[in-house]
Amino acid sequence: MGSLLFSYTRTNARSICTLLSHSRPLVFLHPSVRSPVDTGAPRVRCSSTRERNKFPGSYRNSGTKWKDFPSREKPPSSVFEAGTAKRTAELLKRKEGKHLAEGPEEPRRPKENDIPSRPLTAAEWKNRKESAGAPQRFEVKMMEKMLAAGSAIDVAQSLLGYVATETGTVSYELLLRYLTLCVHGNHQAEVFDLYDIMRHRFKTLDTGAYSLFIKGFSRTERWRECLLLLESTKKVVTPSPRNYGDAIWGAVQHGESTTAWELYEEMVGTGLSPNQETWQTLFDSGFSGQGNESKLQSILLHMRDNQIYPGEALAKSIRAWFESLPGNRWEGSWATVETSVCRSCRARLESIQLSEEEYRQLKDRVMSDVIQGRDVFTKTTPQELESFMSFVKKRPPFDVVIDGLNVANTSSKGNQAKTLLAVVSELASQGLRVLVLGRKHMLKNSRSWDRSHMVLIQQKADCFFTENISEDDPFLLYAALHSGNHCRFVSRDLMRDHKACLPDSSARRLFFKWQRGHQLVLNNFLPGQRIRFQEIPSYDTIVQTHESSWHIPYDVEGLERCSYEVPKQWLCLRRKY
Amino acid sequence: MKLLKPQFLSVVWRPALAGRRGGWLQRPRGPPAPCRALSASWGLRKEASQPSGGSAEGLDLGAWKAVARSEARGGASPEAGGQEGEPSPLQASRELVEMWRQAGKLVPEHLAEDELRAFGELPTKSARKKYLKYLAIKEGHKKARKEKKQHRASERAAEISSRDPETEEEPSGGRLRNTFLLQFWQRSVDALYNWRAAQAMQFGQPLVFDMSYDQHMSRREVENTVSQLLECEGWNRRSADPFHLYFCHLRPGSAYLQELARRYGPAWERLLVTATEQPHVDLFPRDRLVYLTADSPHILRAFDHNKVYIVGAMVDRSIQTGLSLANAKRLKLATARLPLDEYLQWEIGAKNLTLDQVMRILLTMKDTGKWEEALRFVPSRKHDGFFEAQRQTQQCGRSGASFNKQRTFVRQEAFQPRARAAFKGSKSGETASRAKTKKSWWEED
Repeated sequence: MGSLLFSYTRTNARSICTLLSHSRPLVFLHPSVRSPVDTGAPRVRCSSTRERNKFPGSYRNSGTKWKDFPSREKPPSSVFEAGTAKRTAELLKRKEGKHLAEGPEEPRRPKENDIPSRPLTAAEWKNRKESAGAPQRFEVKMMEKMLAAGSAIDVAQSLLGYVATETGTVSYELLLRYLTLCVHGNHQAEVFDLYDIMRHRFKTLDTGAYSLFIKGFSRTERWRECLLLLESTKKVVTPSPRNYGDAIWGAVQHGESTTAWELYEEMVGTGLSPNQETWQTLFDSGFSGQGNESKLQSILLHMRDNQIYPGEALAKSIRAWFESLPGNRWEGSWATVETSVCRSCRARLESIQLSEEEYRQLKDRVMSDVIQGRDVFTKTTPQELESFMSFVKKRPPFDVVIDGLNVANTSSKGNQAKTLLAVVSELASQGLRVLVLGRKHMLKNSRSWDRSHMVLIQQKADCFFTENISEDDPFLLYAALHSGNHCRFVSRDLMRDHKACLPDSSARRLFFKWQRGHQLVLNNFLPGQRIRFQEIPSYDTIVQTHESSWHIPYDVEGLERCSYEVPKQWLCLRRKY
Repeated sequence: MKLLKPQFLSVVWRPALAGRRGGWLQRPRGPPAPCRALSASWGLRKEASQPSGGSAEGLDLGAWKAVARSEARGGASPEAGGQEGEPSPLQASRELVEMWRQAGKLVPEHLAEDELRAFGELPTKSARKKYLKYLAIKEGHKKARKEKKQHRASERAAEISSRDPETEEEPSGGRLRNTFLLQFWQRSVDALYNWRAAQAMQFGQPLVFDMSYDQHMSRREVENTVSQLLECEGWNRRSADPFHLYFCHLRPGSAYLQELARRYGPAWERLLVTATEQPHVDLFPRDRLVYLTADSPHILRAFDHNKVYIVGAMVDRSIQTGLSLANAKRLKLATARLPLDEYLQWEIGAKNLTLDQVMRILLTMKDTGKWEEALRFVPSRKHDGFFEAQRQTQQCGRSGASFNKQRTFVRQEAFQPRARAAFKGSKSGETASRAKTKKSWWEED
């Protein structure tokens, strides 16, 4: 408890009161006191303060962690954590109860008796065709059904034989379906035959056929022809990452590491994002040697730069590769992270705070792209922007910026102004400088916007009210960014539409990082209850390295992750001495 | 599975194959034929690589390959010349489209040179596919129309030829009929419409189309906009009391102007509308202008005959919210939106309507002043009926304050769940079902 620091008597008395009433250790620092962990962000009291105090590693003892919640409805520690959106959706569905009683839809399967189990003669096929519903596309439909059921190719061959005798020709479409069947069934000799037939019969092939041949050839000793096929695809369209992936797989299987890497670099050079399987292939390939080591590590850096998280299978491959490295022994383990410390190796992870340069960049981008955009008038007016800028400039930096309307609407029960007042006075009582953003209609006395509450809010905090048709979120972002790195903002909005205003992905990633580090999300709140915010992670969830260690967050298989969520499982790799 | 013996099969199969493809086609195991040499290497290879092949099954599973290959030989001669030189990018993409068509994808049969060039210029694969799909659908419509036309022509020809003998006398009888009018030709109707339009040019209420959005639209969107404008002008001309149409902000050389000139042809010069480069704020006093936009916070309660309404001539297929509202804000104009939520139980679709729908709504409002009648032009798929329909069934008075009160009551009842849905965001499933129960309640009533 040595970390309790009080600067003002006012705060002192209040804090003691809270201490008494909650009888649990609390840590909060005045803004003037810089905490050693992050770069001076004032601690806003979060629901997880208790966990922060704990020595990392003592997690198992805290069995009573969520004592006051029913176990299945334990609140997520962050909206940005993987699976939260799914869980929320399920919770809502459960509340819905019998309204959504119907089970998951059964996928339509082709009837088993549709597809013959043995090769048929021409006469038998003819019978089937005549009894079928749509005789025009009978062959193609039948071939598709076989593909879906994964039946043996001799049945398909007998169908082709029938078609050939009946019409004297086999259409390209049918050949393509048959090719798909062969490639999926891994019938290499048939693929070669088909390649020959189609090459001779048709001047060029379509992209689908090229992809299939690349896939088919990559498994055989004729894999080098993949490269030729890839070249012919390139003449008309950009090959897909899967095409490259198949070709790389072929090269890797035949021990041609240079070709594989050339292909990989070409793919990344054209701006394509490689598939996870391709990376897995490269990691599994086990090419040893100094050159490859740095190349594989560059893949990890690529993931870091583009904020890509490997899947579980790829993570296993990465771990296996590191552990198989000769000489310097690497040790991997699956870990979680608590309060910015890896549970497995006790290393401190990268901070979520942006660097000076990044911060300045983000501020400019938000101003130019989110607020002004193509037309200032879409979100605000120049006059309003001007007055807001001077408003922000005149005041000292804020500690917390509140999205008034969002916070006021958090609780469905109770007066909106009252809810806002509760949040504002809670934050103000922690000695924080608060800015409330809202719209002008809030000032008009009404049932939900009681004037007396609004007056109290204006006493406790600085307020800025925009026009009713202006958007207040961009102002919120700007005010928070302008106030500096320590400033946080309170809103339940995920800000996805504002993130989408940023034109390039690097700016969007920067924004997301800043958002995760600075957004305070109010947990479900009822009037009269204590105000709890969700935990803000102090570390960044991204592939990261530190001299003798790698920390790689990965997606757990079977857990759905939304685009705005980050995984919570980590692969910890460190060098043994 | 040795049910069928090879000898037996050869009896069954050979006539069928020989009959179709001539004598050269042979089963691999059959006796050598004169043409065998042509495919010898392949046949041998296949037999070597797949000893189990078809014979084990009792069926010749490789026969189709010979057929397929034979066609390869047939098409070999043009193909040999084609592979000599490198095909140009245009040629390559034409071939690609052809192969996609053969693979059963939705692509057009014929591609004009400029379409091909536009195809080649598209940046991404998905954009190219979409463009081809669009062309294919267009082609399909064209073909269907042509067929229909031919069908009708042949039907007519048959009809004429069948009654040829009697019609010899009929026209002479018809020509002598006593009538006080000559046949009322379309020409006369047009003259009437043009007279009315000319009247409107002099004395009519102005209606402005703001044509300043051409940088915000793609080519397709501009084409669609101009189609809608054509329709607007048509509806306006045919109405009893037309507006005086203004096409403002129409810059020379803009995409709008090109497309308008293309669609109207020579009629564009004779059209009874005011097309001007000037902005609307220069033509009319600001206090008379009202910008109609779906994003406006104000509702158009009643149609004012002294106002000049402005409609943004824009089709927005991408997401560009608040464009026209921003324009109005910049010029400090009054804005308004149609009272869709007030009169209609909105179901799906955006609240922005097409230009011709807005035109007809405004024309009807101008004539009758009744929203119930005007809003009939909102597409019926977008809403689930009028609120006032329920009012009538509830037998309430059709006048004054009680009427209004009733309406607001109805609105609250119907809209509360929805408002809450917007408020809470993610609870749409719950509220949708609740709204459904509400709806059935209304229907029963």
